[in-house]
Amino acid sequence: MRVPLGWLRDYVDLPADPGAVAEMLALIGFPVAAIETRPVITGVIAGRIAELGKHPNADRLQVGRIDVGDGAPLTIATAATNVSPGQTIAVATIGACLPKLTIERRKMRGLESEGMMISAGELALPEEWFEDGIMQFEESLQPGTDVVEYFRLSEAVLDVEITSNRVDAMSLIGLARELAAYQKVPLRTPDPSNPGGGAGGPKAEITIESPDCRRFVSQIFTGVRSGPSPAWMRIRLALAGQRPINRLVDISNYVMLETAQPLHFYDAAKIAGHHLIVRDARQGERFVALDGSEHELTPHALVIASETSAECLAGLMGARSSEVTDATTELILESANFSGPRIRRTAGQLGFRTEASSRHEKSLAPALTTVGAARAAHLLAQAGATPHEPAAFGQPLTAAAPIDFKISDVKRLLGYELQPQEITEYLDGLGFKAEPQPDGMLRVVAPAWRTDVTCSADVIEEIARMAGYGRISPEIPAVRAHDIASGDYRRERKAAATLAALGYREIVTYSLHGANVYEKIRRAGLEPPARPVEVQNPLSEEQRYLRHSLGPAMVTHLARANGPARAFEIGHVFYSEDRQPLETAMAFFAFSAEPQDEPEWRDSNFLRAKGDCETFLREMTGESRFETAADEREGFHPGKTGVVLMGGREIAVVGQVDPRLLRSFGARLPIYACRMILAALPPYDVPQFKPPSKFPSTYRDLALVCDAGLPSQQVENALRSAAGAWCTAVSAFDEYRGSQVPAGKKSIAIRVTLQKPDATITDAEADAVIEKSVAELRAQFGVTLRA
Amino acid sequence: MDLIDTLEDLRARFEDALKNSAGAGALDGVRVAFLGRSGEVTAIRRSIGKLPPAERPAAGQRINEAVEKMEHALNEAQAKADALEVGASLSHRIDVTFPSIPPQQGSIHPMKRVMHDVCAYFERHGFAVVIGPEIEPDYYNFDALNIPPDHPAREGFDSFFLTPNLLLRPHTSPMQIRTMQQHRPPVAVVVPGTCYRRDAVDARHLYQFNQCEGLLVDEGVNMGHLKGMLTGMCREIFGSEQQVRFRPSYFPFTEPSAEVDTTCPLCRGAGGECRMCGGSGWIELGGAGMVHPNVLRNMEYDPEVYSGWAFGFGLERMALVRYDVDDIRRFFENDDAFLEQLA
Repeated sequence: MRVPLGWLRDYVDLPADPGAVAEMLALIGFPVAAIETRPVITGVIAGRIAELGKHPNADRLQVGRIDVGDGAPLTIATAATNVSPGQTIAVATIGACLPKLTIERRKMRGLESEGMMISAGELALPEEWFEDGIMQFEESLQPGTDVVEYFRLSEAVLDVEITSNRVDAMSLIGLARELAAYQKVPLRTPDPSNPGGGAGGPKAEITIESPDCRRFVSQIFTGVRSGPSPAWMRIRLALAGQRPINRLVDISNYVMLETAQPLHFYDAAKIAGHHLIVRDARQGERFVALDGSEHELTPHALVIASETSAECLAGLMGARSSEVTDATTELILESANFSGPRIRRTAGQLGFRTEASSRHEKSLAPALTTVGAARAAHLLAQAGATPHEPAAFGQPLTAAAPIDFKISDVKRLLGYELQPQEITEYLDGLGFKAEPQPDGMLRVVAPAWRTDVTCSADVIEEIARMAGYGRISPEIPAVRAHDIASGDYRRERKAAATLAALGYREIVTYSLHGANVYEKIRRAGLEPPARPVEVQNPLSEEQRYLRHSLGPAMVTHLARANGPARAFEIGHVFYSEDRQPLETAMAFFAFSAEPQDEPEWRDSNFLRAKGDCETFLREMTGESRFETAADEREGFHPGKTGVVLMGGREIAVVGQVDPRLLRSFGARLPIYACRMILAALPPYDVPQFKPPSKFPSTYRDLALVCDAGLPSQQVENALRSAAGAWCTAVSAFDEYRGSQVPAGKKSIAIRVTLQKPDATITDAEADAVIEKSVAELRAQFGVTLRA
Repeated sequence: MDLIDTLEDLRARFEDALKNSAGAGALDGVRVAFLGRSGEVTAIRRSIGKLPPAERPAAGQRINEAVEKMEHALNEAQAKADALEVGASLSHRIDVTFPSIPPQQGSIHPMKRVMHDVCAYFERHGFAVVIGPEIEPDYYNFDALNIPPDHPAREGFDSFFLTPNLLLRPHTSPMQIRTMQQHRPPVAVVVPGTCYRRDAVDARHLYQFNQCEGLLVDEGVNMGHLKGMLTGMCREIFGSEQQVRFRPSYFPFTEPSAEVDTTCPLCRGAGGECRMCGGSGWIELGGAGMVHPNVLRNMEYDPEVYSGWAFGFGLERMALVRYDVDDIRRFFENDDAFLEQLA
């Protein structure tokens, strides 16, 4: 909310420095987003046009004799056409400093001009919101008055942020009250009584058909004259960001900015029988608002209607049909209270928000209806209208329920003690009533405008704000022991640390993406997920779907690198089951690498990926040996992918990313990846030490010829069990296919290490074990020793 | 040839071989040829067997003496050769300023590093770290957190909805509820995790971000404890001189509520023309406050007995300040230069 400081000072004494006011506001819960300082303007005074005539040497210029109070009148030439004798206008005298120029003595077509008649624009006001030409003041302004000082034009405008619970403070008086209470100085408020009087005067009849209108104060004014508002009101509205329209509209806006209560005026002549009905809009009912916008309504909207048509879209804007104009002589005031959610939803559905709706939608206090009506009545009376007796409809005003407040709760919740006296002072300053009760209690009643305060904790916040949050002193709590476990987080943190140690760089990517990811998958000739998880209200099509895999973002990331790169991500992926969206935490690591010069049956990059995977899994699970089985998985190369098993359970997939995907995602280098469901990893099992044999081991390297399709892991396993208890390691270290072995066969070089626990193994013993093992392998797989 | 001649001949050839062998490698060859298992000395020893038994001990001794001498000579030559080689290597000169060959090194994402550091701080003080789902039903997100049925947050302006009552969590606060449902006080947890809000994207805002929630509920927990813990956290993350300031604010699930600021680490609170804090001298971290009595009541904790506090801070925002990053989007772009610099 834009708050002109010059206006705010009407209600409360404040420091001169706008920064100091902003700081104070921030410390009591109203942060200032911006301080708009005003340009320095000097030497502008009010002048009255005593005489006006044609310039002797120029057709388009006029020359005025301007009464400026003390001293001789000034002779000033002007090209403006909105001037006439008797007007009080803005005059920049010689030496005056304006935002864009300094006034000097100069000749205009041979005639010396002793100053300049100026426009609102030259006073740094929005020019298009003011009269075309010279700025006009009301007659009551004394010639010679310093305009900048009088209208407080040099005062900064604060852009204050107001939390949604404090709609009462979306007003100058509301903010002034906070500042007064905090500074412990008086608050100056306008006369709260309504000047409308005399029973038997004209009255509007209000029928409330909807419970969403909680209260409606109406009042009739006769003898109304419109025309422009006085300059002070126009200037204040303009600085507050509200365009001045005419005296009547301006009064309603002024009261809203001052008190937070939005008002609406109907031209009484256009409301048959002065009867207004608050009702749901009819389906398809058409409404043309004051600003000319047209709306087709549904029963969700609430309207205030005459007996024939909707005359106001409740809480938003009046209808053009009963708009007040310069011809209006009699008006009906509406100062009403509506259900906040109802107004908010209507505004949302119609895509139509106004200053009024921004307040109504936060549920104003019903008591403000009376305050707003009274203030409008005073201003209308000042403008020459006759206020008649106000009438209130709807729910009667009730006092807030008292809150029984334990004084010791201040210490319990804020950590410091306050005396009852001090607490009462703070609450009084904000308009609360606090009565001491026995047993250290206070009975607190919130003021009518503070519907947000309903419990003891709310009262504590008020006290804390006024005492200053700075009084809360930092202290480290002694946290008592509890049994809440950090397992899931620690697993993620350990996974990240391990992958970083393995040379992978952590990335964080967006979970939401557009259909383009699915298009790329389709372009690769593959099927995207059949039931992706979809956001119902995305910000854009690029953020419609929740990722089903960390793969696409990873491939995109690696494809962007100039050369080989390594990365990992830990994050959630999403899928549907029985139409329920579900999620799982995954770890995904991958690297891109130059293709090796290798035969098609070998890929050492795959073995590197598998090595990283096994090292990672060992760190995570404590297990040191893993089985891998060739398998096919969506997104991976059908012949270069394995699932890693532990105790027969699949815990990871490792392989080359499907080359068709690489192409459609624009990756130049092959990518090898590994993915794991973090929750599926077995918990870390602490390895147990087995003392190694003290006696030397020996080994035998075997070249075994077997079917090309036989996995080396099976040969290793068979050898291990055949070799028996003395076998401490079996490991394939080379593979060969080609002219040296028959077609469809391969030769695997395997080292078998043997060791006895209680003696040095002899060559003869070792040879016997090997011979027996090879025989078993021959029987099992038809394996032969290579010649 | 008798043994003496044989040994003399052997010595002569040994000395020749020694003389002609340059470098430590060649000496090994000499050793093998003369003293090895199937070397010349072995052959001579075997020939002792042909001698009459009475001569054998003397012959053996002769051979041993010769071997000893040869070994001594070999060791000396070896030492000389080693010294020569080491001596030569001492004169080598390299360019130590040439760029290093780095190890294959990974890194932790800078936002995650802040996350881990925040969590580590709280773990040291007895807090557990819990993580939760990113998809939450409205009960955890709104009802249990004292957000009334008519609250605008429920209407899809701020949050991404998947079904009428499932949404992507806009904050980590649902985990307050999940934790309190499962445990009785004391409850001391922090909750890091990804959140989503329908925010228009700019240098300071993103629709996806990470938050860290904190919650402490027990008897005698007050707002001073909140300030104490957050001051400690800021000192850990931003520097040892950090101060923390509370400003009143509003959240449905806390009362009293506060916005938490910490001293701008760039200007150290001086303000002025500081580009990081815009001259205020303070950096906004996020919201905090005392857990609303209605939230405690929803968990069947008696608010007359228990009190607690909670906070929720944006981790990218903290990282932005800690690493002086100009644009929050960088944390999701994974540009190599960015990750490399902050590795």
